[in-house]
Amino acid sequence: MQLNEDIAIVAMSQTPSHRRYNDSEVSLIMDCVNDVLSQVDIDRHDIDFTIAGSADYLSGMPFAFVANIDAVGAWPPVYESHVEMDGAFAMFEAFVRLQMGDIDTAFVSASGKSSPGNPRHVFPLQGDPYYSAPLGLDSVTMAGLQAQALIDAGKATEEDFAQVVSRSRRSALDNPNAQVAKDVSVDELLAKPYHTAPLRNHDLPPISDGAAAVLLARGDKARELCENPVWITGIDHRLESHHAGLRDLTTSVSTRACAEHLGVADGSLDVAELCVNYSPEEIILAESLNLGDNTVINPSGGPLAAHPVIATGLIRVIEAATRVRDGEAGKALAHCSSGAALQQNLIAVLEGDA
Amino acid sequence: MSDTLPSNTNVLEFPYTRTTGPILGPFLTALRDGSILGNRIGDKVYCPPLEFDPDTFASAEPDMVPVGPGGEVVTATWVAHPSGKHPFDDPFAMALIKLDGADTPLVHAVKASAADAVVKGTRVTAQFRDEREGAITDVYFVPEADAVDQDLAVDPAAEPVKITTHPIALTIDDPYFPHKIRFAEALLEGRIVGQRSPASGKVYVPSRGYDPMERVRMSEADDVEVADTGTVISFTQLAPIQYHGQTETEPFIRCSVILDGADSPLGGIDIKHIPVEEFRVGMRLQAVWRPAGERKIDELDNRFGSLPAGVIERWDHTGEPDVATADLPKGTF
Repeated sequence: MQLNEDIAIVAMSQTPSHRRYNDSEVSLIMDCVNDVLSQVDIDRHDIDFTIAGSADYLSGMPFAFVANIDAVGAWPPVYESHVEMDGAFAMFEAFVRLQMGDIDTAFVSASGKSSPGNPRHVFPLQGDPYYSAPLGLDSVTMAGLQAQALIDAGKATEEDFAQVVSRSRRSALDNPNAQVAKDVSVDELLAKPYHTAPLRNHDLPPISDGAAAVLLARGDKARELCENPVWITGIDHRLESHHAGLRDLTTSVSTRACAEHLGVADGSLDVAELCVNYSPEEIILAESLNLGDNTVINPSGGPLAAHPVIATGLIRVIEAATRVRDGEAGKALAHCSSGAALQQNLIAVLEGDA
Repeated sequence: MSDTLPSNTNVLEFPYTRTTGPILGPFLTALRDGSILGNRIGDKVYCPPLEFDPDTFASAEPDMVPVGPGGEVVTATWVAHPSGKHPFDDPFAMALIKLDGADTPLVHAVKASAADAVVKGTRVTAQFRDEREGAITDVYFVPEADAVDQDLAVDPAAEPVKITTHPIALTIDDPYFPHKIRFAEALLEGRIVGQRSPASGKVYVPSRGYDPMERVRMSEADDVEVADTGTVISFTQLAPIQYHGQTETEPFIRCSVILDGADSPLGGIDIKHIPVEEFRVGMRLQAVWRPAGERKIDELDNRFGSLPAGVIERWDHTGEPDVATADLPKGTF
């Protein structure tokens, strides 16, 4: 993709991840919107484009995405779009919209309340309606198949999965927004019973409610609004078949294609915030992105510590961008996946002005 | 959580109906009749059959090929805690199964006694359910050693499967939000409680817990009681269409009212005893409460933005003169 415009993240916000948040999804987003607006000198009426990611099925409220606009402010009318996907994909649309060069700012929000429903009942509905949804084929079961395929192929062991979990939960101790954070050893984890073999409970993400938001700005506007804009120097997403039988579950060809296209499969990343919804996914993603020892993976703890579905991917962007903004990383990558077992993958490359 | 309120658990249902087309139709028809079909695309046989060539994305021909009933497990996971939407309530294996004669694996359930009975390389075979409807769930698999011979009753005159139904039901457990609890408890006492925005001073009934115009949260300190009388600001007549879940059969009026003391319109107020030709914008209405002890708020959920019919039995004309159009309450906009 030839980029015409430099686009940066100039403000960002996320809520803590709650096991059950006993108020509206709108109020979660509203907190993020007001937090973002407090960080930059801009009136909400001057924001050119607004886009949200949300999924009504999660909280079981048809047209919840309409009510969610209350959080951004629907009056006077706003130029608004929506994706029934993670907010990272909403950010992709905002990025593309800004490339047209006729607007300067775009606001991206993402919210999800998984607690009212049962994710294992909701997620089969995104699969093939004839072949897999009637089987109740949920993300957990698909992750179990993917994990076993990795083991059968000799690419990973259950101990590898436990190491991902142990490190993620320990990293989450430094993340005030994390829901699951503790210092737990690999041996302790391996002593637990299976949930969906070879996965154990801790290889699965928590059920979470939460929201996140970022404000994007173009070129000079970004420099005007913010002293240390975090530039999105590359963004791409690719999709694989929704038929599990047509995929090699032990690798992520779509992630690799994104990384090669953006030129980041070369070990140059300081930080990678990955959408590791199930621990084996980190092993697949690290291989597909060609991440080496010099890349810190999920310093926030990742989705294994906090998984407000729909916001999870945008939070990866925020966590990676925060480390660039604070000078801890020169070049960082944020990853988001959609569908079961890493079916669709998005990556964004983030860099500072230095 | 208040002990006077019911739990707010709902079942969200969508009854999807789908056509099957030239490739899924024969596949589902064969399952109903006790066999499994793949389809040939180029030099490969795909099961489940595909409507397109996954390499070129060209449309596939319905070149159906019998596969199975035996096959080999490619990958399996042991589901120790079935979700309730799975084919089995007891632990089972979900597996990628390459059926004999097919080149690609099918995801399906294998009923077995233990995890180690279904691993990579295990031979399995299809078993058909007694009641079959032309769905992927008409079949399941077992390790070959566990298979029993089946004498399947097949109706040779049965029509091909051209339409399938996929009823979806999700149970949603959404405890009442704090402001909704206070709203509901007041209704049971015969009072209508809204919230006054600390930013604009406007009163919202029912409140959503925040001011949607000024985008600020509201708290219990912002609660305010309003009257049970108000003015009609708009209405329509609904002729009920008989969709899934519809309970109305006769035409009725649905109107919006601004209660005295409130600024936000209260929508979804249904009027069934006033003839439409006598109903007017500007008309003054009075809530008629159900007797204390008979009030029910089952209809109320965290989103429901009106006054439940289980609390307000009906709305009567107050007998006051209509409010002139120019004097109608302005609402929040």
